[in-house]
Amino acid sequence: MTDRQQQGKGQVSLVSLTKHFGPIAAVDAIDLDIPSGGFFSLLGPSGCGKTTTLRLIAGFEQPTSGQVLLDGRDMAGTPPSKRPVNTVFQSYALFPHLRVFDNVAFGLRRAHVPRDEVRRRVGEALELVQLSDLAARKPGQLSGGQQQRVALARALVLRPEVLLLDEPLGALDAKLRRQLQVELKQLQTRVGITFVYVTHDQEEALTMSDRIAVINRGRIEQAASPRDLYEEPANAFVADFLGVSNLMDASANGPSGDAAQVRLANGFSVEVRRGEISRRGEVKVVIRPERVMLEPAGGTGPNRIPGMVTNVVYLGSGIQLAVHLASGHTVTALVPNNDDDTASAWSSGLAVTCYLPANALRVLGDGVATNQQHSGAAT
Amino acid sequence: MRPVSRFGSLGLGIYFWAFVVFLFVPLVVLVIFSVNNSTIPALPLSGFTTRWFHLAFGNGELTTALVRSVVIALVAGLLATALGIMASLGLLAMRGRALALALAVLLLPLVVPYICLAVGLLILVQEVSAQPTLVAVVLGHSVIALPFAILVILPRLRSLDPAMNEAALDLGASSFATLRYITLPLLAPALVSSMIICFVTSFDEFAIASFLAPSGQPTYPIFLYTSARTPALLPEVIAIGAIIIAGSLLLVVLAEGGRRWAERRLVGADVSHAGEPTGPDAEVPEPVLATTGPN
Repeated sequence: MTDRQQQGKGQVSLVSLTKHFGPIAAVDAIDLDIPSGGFFSLLGPSGCGKTTTLRLIAGFEQPTSGQVLLDGRDMAGTPPSKRPVNTVFQSYALFPHLRVFDNVAFGLRRAHVPRDEVRRRVGEALELVQLSDLAARKPGQLSGGQQQRVALARALVLRPEVLLLDEPLGALDAKLRRQLQVELKQLQTRVGITFVYVTHDQEEALTMSDRIAVINRGRIEQAASPRDLYEEPANAFVADFLGVSNLMDASANGPSGDAAQVRLANGFSVEVRRGEISRRGEVKVVIRPERVMLEPAGGTGPNRIPGMVTNVVYLGSGIQLAVHLASGHTVTALVPNNDDDTASAWSSGLAVTCYLPANALRVLGDGVATNQQHSGAAT
Repeated sequence: MRPVSRFGSLGLGIYFWAFVVFLFVPLVVLVIFSVNNSTIPALPLSGFTTRWFHLAFGNGELTTALVRSVVIALVAGLLATALGIMASLGLLAMRGRALALALAVLLLPLVVPYICLAVGLLILVQEVSAQPTLVAVVLGHSVIALPFAILVILPRLRSLDPAMNEAALDLGASSFATLRYITLPLLAPALVSSMIICFVTSFDEFAIASFLAPSGQPTYPIFLYTSARTPALLPEVIAIGAIIIAGSLLLVVLAEGGRRWAERRLVGADVSHAGEPTGPDAEVPEPVLATTGPN
């Protein structure tokens, strides 16, 4: 199926796409460009409208207003059966009464593809997902991971321009998920089809995607590459959703040079070098747990705040600590478990000095969807 | 379940067996008297005979009535099941008050006395054609069987993953192809159940048939009813009754066996014969959809 590398095909544009269910706007005037041939994720909490967006692209829902463009063509009025788009469903939706072979052949037979070609293409598709030896099984005789691959083969065999995946790994256990994440990504690279992947799992999205759109309440908070999203979240929602982040209320007075001093409560202040340092007034300052440094109590210097460990969680590869700071905030710190003593060195009640490096602190916008500027800047 | 006290369990046992006796003794009595060598069905028993069976099957009127009823029941069963599929597909798409209303109308024949339906149908038939006909009986039986068909088919339809329909459409199938290749095959066990229930409903229905059947063409229950009042025919009627009971038992056993076979074929759930799942992610297979319907 490598001959499917169609340059410039499978490009999806959403133009002020809106979908109302009764009074509720599930999708609220989304503008989004999904580039051709990439792995694009729609990431957001449940009920944020990501699945509805996917269903609008597939044609299962009709937009209240706005457009879905596929390679520039307006898809309005084109039924799902006529769109060059196929879907891998969350429940897989395999046909339980048909053998794996017939499940995969279903779409080809509806398109009246000659029998020989059906056999050849189904064979190729099953090979692609490494299920050739299970072609005669019924879906009920397969494991969850195998069923997921049948669903993939069934959609890919039709050579769609865009493959839509609705949380396809949601029903699998953690170990299998991680394995299939890698497989899916490799598969996408090999077939070169545009993948639009819906998930609420930020780790999954970060692992697999070329680009991610973070969706909240039917709007896009930020669309950027995984690295940019993680390193330069546009607002508090994105920072929070992309991983455990420490958000602190602060007040800013604007920049001096390439840094800004922001005041925290109780007379503490820190220097911040990243994010929107030119903002003034009430802001949010964010730092990720792995960037929080813990030093022995009594240490002094810039950006250092005394605190006390209030909770210790052993994670295996690291230790997650909750530290209550003298500024009134509680921050989460992640200490790598790279030393014989790490696991036993930390305990609740331990006094520490918390170092928040200026390069790790970011001033964030207030979370109102100002996504277009951010997505532009992040590209 | 709450544990039952010793006394309670004794009470339940008595209740259960009393229930069984009440239900089955009449049937047993019928079978016993069908082989009793006497023209009067009364105790004491007077020896074994198969005479009544020979007489019954030699009675052309009786066998004709029996065949007539079977044909009517088959056609009515097919018709009611076909209508039941359509009605269930429609009901599946409905919500809220519209659903409640539509369901109430469709299930109405369950609560309307058959005799009222019969009178109404008779008036209608006489408006359309001058004479009562067997076609009218078939139609009447389809009406009373339709609720049973819906009650069997709709839950099965609801248990199917709605994403399967969308998947079929997504893969390029038309709505008709989706029905033909996905929905109907998955409904098969329910359709078999529906056919049997509708068949039985029509087969022993008396009120509607007695109003609508032409006088020279009695169905089997009508013939039985008129014969039972003729003492000379009573033993034959009893013999036929015994055969019908045996037939019903056979039907139920075959139907249940067939349903299980269809379920297994449908989903291929018989994992023990399929060998262990292989591959790097071998795990206990979980079926994609619940296969246990109410049927």
